[in-house]
Amino acid sequence: MKLYVYCLAEGIDVRREPTLGISGASVRVLKTENLSVLVSDLEADSAPVTRENALTHAAVVRSVLDYFTPLPFRFGTVVTEQQLQSYLSTHKAILESKLESVRGRVEMSVKIIWENTIEQQPQSQNKSQVDKQGAGTMFLAEKRQQILGDEHRAAEASKISTWLHETLSELVGDEQVTLRPTERLVVSAAHLIERGKIGQYREKLAEMRQNRPDLHFLSSGPWPPYSFANIGLEFKTQFGVS
Amino acid sequence: MELSPKTNPLSAEPEIETSHAEEFVEQLRCVADTLPSRINIDAQSVEQGLAKLVLTLIEFIRRLLEKQAVRRMEGGDLSPEQIEELGLALMRLEAKLQELKTQFGLADEDLNLDLGPIGRLI
Repeated sequence: MKLYVYCLAEGIDVRREPTLGISGASVRVLKTENLSVLVSDLEADSAPVTRENALTHAAVVRSVLDYFTPLPFRFGTVVTEQQLQSYLSTHKAILESKLESVRGRVEMSVKIIWENTIEQQPQSQNKSQVDKQGAGTMFLAEKRQQILGDEHRAAEASKISTWLHETLSELVGDEQVTLRPTERLVVSAAHLIERGKIGQYREKLAEMRQNRPDLHFLSSGPWPPYSFANIGLEFKTQFGVS
Repeated sequence: MELSPKTNPLSAEPEIETSHAEEFVEQLRCVADTLPSRINIDAQSVEQGLAKLVLTLIEFIRRLLEKQAVRRMEGGDLSPEQIEELGLALMRLEAKLQELKTQFGLADEDLNLDLGPIGRLI
């Protein structure tokens, strides 16, 4: 029998409300010294990546967030109890430090899509130009236009990211920012903020929306600090294939 | 401490706020497609997984070569004949890579690697 691991928390002894986890197994608390880990039994060697399992994992972690800020484990973490106990005892200091860094805080997320796609259109190749310059030269000229356009978009994305950072810096304890994860998604940012500052954070974002109507915002949260947990398990994280 | 509904003063339901939900769904699907996937070591998938990895590295090098060629062209240290020759070579390389992508059933967006905190390779 293996354990499916949801999250690490501190100070939880028992769960009064029965919660069902992956594969319908009851979620229980496994304690080692001051650390508590929410787990459920799993007969299989891995948890299939399905919508239902992902939502179940999120719901269990979420149930802890109402009381404490947990350190979520990566979806699909399946281990033996011995492996988990060994990991907790050898990494106790690091894990306590991570719990300290997220204590009383939650993750808020902002994503920005940029509507102003500044495209530098590649020059079209007509026959006379090709005859005059040659196909190879025209090819490099087109590549030059593409590279210039890409550099321009990267510079603009960087400016928007700096603006976001400077506007929210007073409220943000820590941040994880990805620039241009897709062509139109300019910035994807995760912010670690104190629970009491969620309202101010949302107000700041509302101001930013008004100041830049050319940008489309998606804000969400509060979430468990998935982007800041980064629990590096030294044992194999196993995934099934749905 | 016991977890019960009576002791949850910190409860706050998550909210999602946007006026452009469909656009974000589309973009987030693109992000999900680029998340690092694990190569299943079975006869059917291992070939495509390895082809994806190798072609991603070739595509990365090809783009570096293109940028270098453009910089040299802008720098004026190439003759018109050299520019033409370099352009033709890179054009053929791009066509060949496109052919290999089609052969392995890969799209342009498949050729990328998530390097974690550094970002994406391409």
